Amino acid sequence: MNRGFWITLGATLGVGGVAFLSSRRASAASSSTSTPTNQPSNLPTIELAPLPTAADVHGDLVSNWGDTPTDLRPLFMLMEETSKIAGSARLFAGIAFRESQFVSSAHNGNAEGEQDERDSSRAAYKNNKDRNQPLKYGEQSAEFGSGGLFGALAPYFLWTGVPEVGNKAPLLNAPPELVFQPRAAAFGATVYLQRLLKNYRIDDHADIKVGWANPSLLGTGRGSDKYHEVRTRFLDDMKTLGIDLAHATLPPELSASAWPGVPAVFAALVGTLPKDLA
Amino acid sequence: MTPDLRCYGDDLARLADLVGDFDLRSALDVQRWYTREWQALADVLGFRQQLAAAPTSIPTGGDRITAMNLAGLAAFEGALRATRPGITDQQARVQSAVLRQMTALGRSRGELWRVSIDPTTLDSGACFTDQGRMARAFYPDTAPGYFGDGWPGPPPRAESACGWTTPLVLHLGTFPWVYSTRLDAVGPGVRWTTASAKPALEGLHVVASLMEPRTNLAQDARQVAAIYRHFITHTAALVSRVPAFVQGQARPGTLYRRGEVLHVHQGSLHVAGLDGPRGKLAALAYNYVLRRFACFFAVRRATVRALPSLPRELQQLAQASADPCLRQHAQEVAHAS
Repeated sequence: MNRGFWITLGATLGVGGVAFLSSRRASAASSSTSTPTNQPSNLPTIELAPLPTAADVHGDLVSNWGDTPTDLRPLFMLMEETSKIAGSARLFAGIAFRESQFVSSAHNGNAEGEQDERDSSRAAYKNNKDRNQPLKYGEQSAEFGSGGLFGALAPYFLWTGVPEVGNKAPLLNAPPELVFQPRAAAFGATVYLQRLLKNYRIDDHADIKVGWANPSLLGTGRGSDKYHEVRTRFLDDMKTLGIDLAHATLPPELSASAWPGVPAVFAALVGTLPKDLA
Repeated sequence: MTPDLRCYGDDLARLADLVGDFDLRSALDVQRWYTREWQALADVLGFRQQLAAAPTSIPTGGDRITAMNLAGLAAFEGALRATRPGITDQQARVQSAVLRQMTALGRSRGELWRVSIDPTTLDSGACFTDQGRMARAFYPDTAPGYFGDGWPGPPPRAESACGWTTPLVLHLGTFPWVYSTRLDAVGPGVRWTTASAKPALEGLHVVASLMEPRTNLAQDARQVAAIYRHFITHTAALVSRVPAFVQGQARPGTLYRRGEVLHVHQGSLHVAGLDGPRGKLAALAYNYVLRRFACFFAVRRATVRALPSLPRELQQLAQASADPCLRQHAQEVAHAS
């Protein structure tokens, strides 16, 4: 990993040493090193299966991954194999690189300078709660901001699957902190990619990242300064990470035509949630 | 009596237990232990799929360890072939030549784990041509670090064509983390690969050879013990401050101590680490380095215990060793038999 990404966090350990997790923002790992405030105490323990390993996937975990951590490659590959969106594994790596610097507990919204992330999650909740299924932890999700490997806004993460399966969507009773579990974050990201591919005009790989930032940029915002800014940043990120978008491992056009459905993807990536969250 | 590692110190006996004991005379034990160690190597260096595709039958010949090491190295080579070059062909060719010379020197000295050399005595001078200018083929790793207090001298006897003013020092026993001051998440040596030369393969070959009885016995364990103790001295306080992992109470993405190693719960070990007075210490590097030391002493213990059944030349190698502990063990074995 590029040394430039290693940011020392403020969790002083004494003897001049600090623990650190590389991250996009200084606050991104605060939940993981020193601030035990993210998980409400009355929540049941959420313990999903550990990260998948090389034995759990079939795809190539060596070619064209750049500096993607080797222990996260199987997760990205499992997302590709489960969703049947060929070539998506390395795009997921690129997105995680930008959104979390591969820190699963990345949390954008719990620091002084991250008001915009909280504003976004509040707006997401306020503007959509009446037309979506109710969230058990809706208010908490509104105040959460975004987080996890793929930088999901909390309300949207918890509504994952609602457009496809309605009140059978699997995260409606889950707290927003579930996004810190890589498998749950992967589920949200996989469904979202499928939705982008099926519902928006995606001209190339960079358009996917544009849709990740804000899907309206793929419609009325297409061609705007923001649109181009996101595209440029994504292309730079992939270059920095060392993933070649023209490599054979990445088809020029991604397709969700073989999408197996939300329940199948949830079962393969997440499994089952504790009874009171399901 | 059963030879053990107490002569080297109780700390090293405990260290070896980290990777478990095995009986070198048992084909099944050997197969299990070496399979597990190669899997651990492959997990860190990213060639688990290639290793899984390697032949898995239990080698029954006397050279079963060599056979398993060759299979592991072939798997690593397969992964390197699919990896984008991390350096230029010219640098890679020089690195390969230097590694061969340093490995030969290290073997002859009985100090293969850390090899130090005057770069101007090497055929290439440890220099390569980079865009018309001469550049050093390796990082001048001479500042105090996690493996030692630095190697400022002696200075090269001849003038270096690429600016070497210090010895060239490589810690081959912990390849790809070969530099005392660069324990980042990616071992520098893993980038040593191009289409035409693969110095990284030669580096891992040293790691594998130290798991073979012959090379293990030829290595002066006192050098390894000294480097290990230096490493522990400069990491113990950092690691002790990391919270202990408790099943059911761990938070995702958090760095924990789990047994003797570091662990990130529901997250990547590659992005976690500690920041200490000797620089950044990636969690992945810490675990890997610790395991390399443990493997060395586990193989040493198993080899000494099995010495009576090993070829006579290996027994003589042990009896003539500069390492007093090994000599003592060899003599005890000779008397007992």
